[in-house]
Amino acid sequence: MNNQEHIDKMTEEALNSVDGVQRATAKPYLFTRLTARMERPTESAWENAGRFIARPVVVVAGLCTVIAINALIIVFNNNNTSSSNNTVAEQQATPDEFSNTVATLYDIENNNEP
Amino acid sequence: MNQPELVEQLQRGEASAFRKLVDEWQDMVYNTVVSIVQDPDDADDITQEVFVQVYQSVSSFKGESKFSTWLYRIALSKALDHEKKKRRKKRFGFVQSLFGGHEEEQLHPVDFDHPGVQLEKKEKAAVLFNALKQLPEKQRIAFTLHKLEGQGYQEIAEIMHTTLYAVESLMGRAKANLKKILDDYYHKNLADH
Repeated sequence: MNNQEHIDKMTEEALNSVDGVQRATAKPYLFTRLTARMERPTESAWENAGRFIARPVVVVAGLCTVIAINALIIVFNNNNTSSSNNTVAEQQATPDEFSNTVATLYDIENNNEP
Repeated sequence: MNQPELVEQLQRGEASAFRKLVDEWQDMVYNTVVSIVQDPDDADDITQEVFVQVYQSVSSFKGESKFSTWLYRIALSKALDHEKKKRRKKRFGFVQSLFGGHEEEQLHPVDFDHPGVQLEKKEKAAVLFNALKQLPEKQRIAFTLHKLEGQGYQEIAEIMHTTLYAVESLMGRAKANLKKILDDYYHKNLADH
């Protein structure tokens, strides 16, 4: 028997392996367990929500989100501060450089008089 | 007790009728569910869910189909829902395992050993059950109901809300696909050894 014939035979046997299968039977005392389950008080939506929030994945994801939002706010604030500082510096530099009011020795002497 | 009578008693909320229902149908529900989910503990849990659902919604049963057909539909729907949840869990299993979850056991389940399979066929049946998991949902349902529950094509058509011709077609495709999956499996397996 060559390899392919052997494989065909095994495939056929596997396909027919559930022929004449018996029904699997439920575990004992199903009804007792079922009634106990039905008598158990059902959890409220709040309890479910609480359990969901307390899951490690949700906690870590929440913390990561808060940290990410904080980081973004800090980065944006820094950008805004540095850009506003530049603007003030530029505004001051322009009149200083192009000022046409020249302080003379006479003005300084007058200002220093008691 | 015939089915309409049992249903009437259930709809009246008689506790003894519920016990009769569970006693009479528990193996049918369990066998269907365990053949789909391939895990005895999960199947036990889902079987209980099925009966809880039946108890809660029996008042809405109109008798348009047979009670057994309705019961099969609930069992299949619960089992397939469980499968979908398991697949979703598997997708996020890695992330969950990072945060202390013990999902690895579920990610690598052992071969399923159906208790009703004859001893000498157990090994081959385990290979078949693994192959069954790779079938499309409808083909899997049709094959399971026919081969493992012993349902005829007409009953399967009623359970699946489809035609007899569609069930025949589903069974044909299921067998062809299984043959291909098994052929690939044995090719790979025999080459490895």
